[in-house]
Amino acid sequence: MAIIEVKSLSKEFKVKVKEKGIKGSIKSIFNPNYNIINAVNNISFSVQEGEIIAFIGPNGAGKSTTIKMLTGILYPSNGTISVMGINPSKQRKKLAYNIGTVFGQKEQLWMHLTPYDNFKFFGAIYDLNDNQIEKKIEEYSKVFDLGKFINTPVRNLSLGQRIRCEIVASLIHEPKILFLDEPTIGLDPVVKENIRELIKKMNKEYNTTIFLTSHDIGDIEKLCKRVIIINNGKIILDDTMRKLKYNYLNKKIIEVRTKRKVNLHGSEEYTILKNVDNCLKIEIDTTKSNVMDIIKQIDEDEIIDINISNIPLENIITEIYKK
Amino acid sequence: MLMEVKKQIKISLLSIKYSIMMQMLNKVTFITNVIFMILNNASFIIQWMVLFNIKDNVGGLSFKQVILLWGIASGTYGIAHLFFEEAFNLSKLIVNGKLDSFIVQPKNVLISVVTSRSKISALGDLIYGYIVLLFYGITIKRFIIFTFVNICGGIIIAEISIIYNSFCFWFVKADILGDTINNTMLNFATYPETIFKKSVKLILYTIIPVGFSTYMPFKLMLKFGIREFFLLIISVLIISLLTFGIFNKGLKKYSSSNLMVSRI
Amino acid sequence: MKKYLHIYKVTILDNIQYVSNIVLRILSFAIIIFVLFNLWKYMYSDQETINGYSKSQILWYVLITEGIWFGVRNKNFTNEISDSIKSGNIAYSINKPYNYVSYLIVKNLGDITIKSLVFVLVVSTIGTIFIGRLKFTILQIPFVLIALIFSALIFSIIDISISLISFWIEDAMPFHWVFDKLVLIFGTIIPIEMFPNSIKTIFSFFPTYPIMYGPAKIIIDFNFNIFCKIFLVQGIYLICTIIIMNLLYKEGVKKVNVNGG
Repeated sequence: MAIIEVKSLSKEFKVKVKEKGIKGSIKSIFNPNYNIINAVNNISFSVQEGEIIAFIGPNGAGKSTTIKMLTGILYPSNGTISVMGINPSKQRKKLAYNIGTVFGQKEQLWMHLTPYDNFKFFGAIYDLNDNQIEKKIEEYSKVFDLGKFINTPVRNLSLGQRIRCEIVASLIHEPKILFLDEPTIGLDPVVKENIRELIKKMNKEYNTTIFLTSHDIGDIEKLCKRVIIINNGKIILDDTMRKLKYNYLNKKIIEVRTKRKVNLHGSEEYTILKNVDNCLKIEIDTTKSNVMDIIKQIDEDEIIDINISNIPLENIITEIYKK
Repeated sequence: MLMEVKKQIKISLLSIKYSIMMQMLNKVTFITNVIFMILNNASFIIQWMVLFNIKDNVGGLSFKQVILLWGIASGTYGIAHLFFEEAFNLSKLIVNGKLDSFIVQPKNVLISVVTSRSKISALGDLIYGYIVLLFYGITIKRFIIFTFVNICGGIIIAEISIIYNSFCFWFVKADILGDTINNTMLNFATYPETIFKKSVKLILYTIIPVGFSTYMPFKLMLKFGIREFFLLIISVLIISLLTFGIFNKGLKKYSSSNLMVSRI
Repeated sequence: MKKYLHIYKVTILDNIQYVSNIVLRILSFAIIIFVLFNLWKYMYSDQETINGYSKSQILWYVLITEGIWFGVRNKNFTNEISDSIKSGNIAYSINKPYNYVSYLIVKNLGDITIKSLVFVLVVSTIGTIFIGRLKFTILQIPFVLIALIFSALIFSIIDISISLISFWIEDAMPFHWVFDKLVLIFGTIIPIEMFPNSIKTIFSFFPTYPIMYGPAKIIIDFNFNIFCKIFLVQGIYLICTIIIMNLLYKEGVKKVNVNGG
């Protein structure tokens, strides 16, 4: 059975529409007009236990609204949600015991307390007894390498250390599902890598389902096996990472460095992205032409170096957003 | 069920403890704030001394009694703001969508929210209340009653603030209500209710319930009576029920519609 | 011409959001006045006059002093000054081609102009409706105006000067507190005449005298002698406070230059 089951989920908001000028302001008080915004428009998907899934989309696509419905903060206008068999809007508290949340922009930790005290506090929130909390703290200290700063007040920690503690705090009760909303925002690449490793570890060791939203393509690429892309409230893509990277945009980029400038005549089979000095960059559509055919068009004596790569995931996703 | 209540109390106390600790980080600021609040409250004694110079009673109360009333106003204010300070900030949380992180936790949202902040100068108010009690004449019986009525009054003050702030669940512009009610209650609380006409007194026991938060506790201090004692307890219970009821209804509205679309 | 109309319209619309602030203030004001009126009405329940004040005079007195308190205080601005000093942002303001303290005074006055005009209106309205007309002649207006403007100036200068203490002490709040208390307790709710004789003379030197008592007295019980006395005190206060403020600023700026802001 899927751990998250979403069917025909919709959420609409009524927004007051105000006409221009003073007359409009007065009118909106007495006889308001409303616009209905479909923030989430009839989406359906399911997540299996243990999956690491990326839930992405441009700003205003409906990501946060969906997560809020999954965690019980918002009630849906239509459709059904089942998280671990629980309806989040009807049994919010019961669900809360089994999920963890890390919202990258909002801190949950007490700034003036040490991570250790924070963990004890959050453990108490989830009704763990002292022994259980101690055990978990020890365990996670090792896994997340918190030993050095577990007794330093949170406000004295670096951003990376703090995020690590936020994640541990959200895991103290061993939730089955972890919702991560922009967890690596503002972190430097080394720390980001570190956090990603930890999340992967969590998933591997404890089979925690990870539901991640992020604007960082690196997060998505390195962590998630499955991607759901949402835009304008609708799901436009729900597929594995593999398929997304290799099949969705059937394009490849060929970069060739030559001894002398090469003049390649234009053709329907490829697009010349750059032809400066001795560097040539071509984009080809693999459904229409073959990599080797294109390369053969260049005199092999002229070739010093050649690089064939896929379209960066970022471009793929941007293309999809635009649709 | 009892287990749950015990756990809720445990976590609330922990939350209060940490909120207060957060204010004590800078020792100098902490002590200055507390002492200044005590001095601040004490300075009003001058005002009353002058008034009693003009007339030998104000509203039928002697000088000592008026100061006691002040002490109760101060003590109840202290308890409300020391332990439940975020109750007075609720409208901003509602309007800015900051309730989310509390909703996601498996504990009562309202209690988690109001215990998440503390106003340290309120400790000065609370201490001042007891200083006044010393001046009035302290006995063990009086100490116990004083503590008890302050707790009741403090809870009522916080709850009234929660009720008025909760109107923001339905009308965003209602944040004015929340701010006004706190100041209003405070203004009335330091003056004897007998200076007001009957029609005003009606208001003081309904929409501006200083009657319950301050005057009833005061009357209990003057003369302890079983009837008044139970009346106070029942008032606290009824107001509490009302508070949780209104807040939870508002929370449902918050979850089903979401005030600010910009929070998406 | 059109663009000025547009600017005017936009400014008004912009200020509408401040309407709720002003409404809130008027509400708070009304409640305090209500409580104080009840207090004084009780005090007068078996007396016609107390220390030379009739009931309607004392009610007007309280109304005016509280009106000054609400209309002239500008805590946001003074906090801003303290903050900019603490954060070092003041370094940017000092380098401008105008005198910084004059700039502060003028800005403060600009901030409170609308507020104080509103409260003049509110005070007159509440007074006329709930107390009754005052023995007030048009001839008094210029004197009243002078007293009020001086009062506002002195109040602002002292408030700003206290904020300037932030050059030396991180938290100027305690000093603001003390000053506020001095003004409130000694003559806002209770006029100086009602204080016991032993203390009356000392109080004449407290800031309440020029800020609160002065204008109120001139409005409710005008005579030329009293006006001269009050005007003198206000004048002395004004000169002294301006000197002190400039001194504080000069010394404070030196500190900024030494530490680099």
